[in-house]
Amino acid sequence: MPFSFTLMETLLFILYPAALLRVRLIIPALLLHGWLVLDSAFRYGRVPLIGTRDTLGFLALALGAAFLAFRWNRKRDVAGPLVIALILAILAGSWVSPVMRGPLPPVLRTIWFELHVILSFVSYALFGLAAVFGILFLRGNAVQDEQDQYRCALLGYALFSLAMIFGGIWAHLAWGTYWLWTPKELWTTIVWFFYSLYLHARLVRGWTGRPVAAMGIVGFLIVMFTYVGVGLLMKSSHEF
Amino acid sequence: MKNFFLSLKTTVWTLFGLICIFFLGSYLMPAHRDVHGSMNDQLLFQWVSETAVLHPWAASWFFLSLAGLALLTVNTVVCSVQAIRGKWSRADFLLRMAPQIVHIGFLCILLAHFLGAGWGYRLAGSLPVEMSARLPDDRVLFLNDLRPQIDSRGSLTGWAAEVVIFENGQRVAEGVLGPNEPLFYKGMGVYLKSFDLQDRPIAHLMVNRDPGAFWALFGSALFIVGATMILLLKWNRA
Repeated sequence: MPFSFTLMETLLFILYPAALLRVRLIIPALLLHGWLVLDSAFRYGRVPLIGTRDTLGFLALALGAAFLAFRWNRKRDVAGPLVIALILAILAGSWVSPVMRGPLPPVLRTIWFELHVILSFVSYALFGLAAVFGILFLRGNAVQDEQDQYRCALLGYALFSLAMIFGGIWAHLAWGTYWLWTPKELWTTIVWFFYSLYLHARLVRGWTGRPVAAMGIVGFLIVMFTYVGVGLLMKSSHEF
Repeated sequence: MKNFFLSLKTTVWTLFGLICIFFLGSYLMPAHRDVHGSMNDQLLFQWVSETAVLHPWAASWFFLSLAGLALLTVNTVVCSVQAIRGKWSRADFLLRMAPQIVHIGFLCILLAHFLGAGWGYRLAGSLPVEMSARLPDDRVLFLNDLRPQIDSRGSLTGWAAEVVIFENGQRVAEGVLGPNEPLFYKGMGVYLKSFDLQDRPIAHLMVNRDPGAFWALFGSALFIVGATMILLLKWNRA
């Protein structure tokens, strides 16, 4: 990994906290981060979403972009400290993870894989932002936070469903089946069931408000376990 | 009883139950590899009749999940029928239709799994170059050539296996198998899983026919259409 690249990655730890002063000040960090992702893509000739380092880095970028989109019109936002802390924690996780160099394994060279993985991590970022809005709602009972959590979860759910569908198409072309019985697939379905539950529970009288907001937080913990925990603890089809 | 199946609380608690069951499954699968190892290698109903019923504890999560999915299916159908039968107004037409489209998509995906679990076939075997293998429906698969693609650093970058399908003695399809590039013929897919180049090139092939594949794709498309409609309609109402 070139020294200049590492230096610019370090710079992200300084640029992202600028969003604490004003939401739109996250833009320089996002531009630099986006450029690093693109640079990595061109350098290795592949989508830079292989391995924990790449994917955590992309998750942090997607979380920052989602935060900017949701709170664009705010000068300073109470969600800022939580989102920035989460971004920095994810970036730190990315930093300590090993770098995956070299070309993609042949089976990963398809647009279906790229769409599957990009949409998965964008939806993870939206679920993360939904959890942050859930924490804010539990603390302050601001209706805006509850509504933003719902929007994040709904958009995340739609994109996550699309990611699962693209993953199924890819699996059908690569292995002859759109579904494999492995712990990773079971946990992916758990995530999908959980957010289906969240969206339905919001319609049940008496469950709206704090119970559903708490669900949005639990959902992100399940997402993170599915992403990190299952990969570490269980064997699955998502190992290449 | 109708109220039970019509209740949103039934949906929520069934989903919660399924989450717990799948959690149990993710623990039991690696703990009982001898039971679950063949789950992806054969049709699911075949695995159930030959393996799962002999190990009811290890496969308990699977049987429980079938019960949960059956309850969710009835709940989904009853709720959707009730929603469609209710009074309609022009103002909320799309908002009432969108969840039903999602539900129909979900049911199609479940139907796909059901069809794929019981019908069709899943065959695997090794075939040397210039040899053929018999397939169901009076078909024959002939392996014409097998070429690995290796870059200047010695890394495997791909592979190409030329195959021909004969039906009733007639040449009906031919193609080159590669990574993510199977050959399809009348719902049957031929896949190159791996290969061996030691003495004589041998392809390890898989031949599948999954009658659920179309329904999975159709259901997925409906699901996404419905979800997109909900997203657009509810975004500003939230």
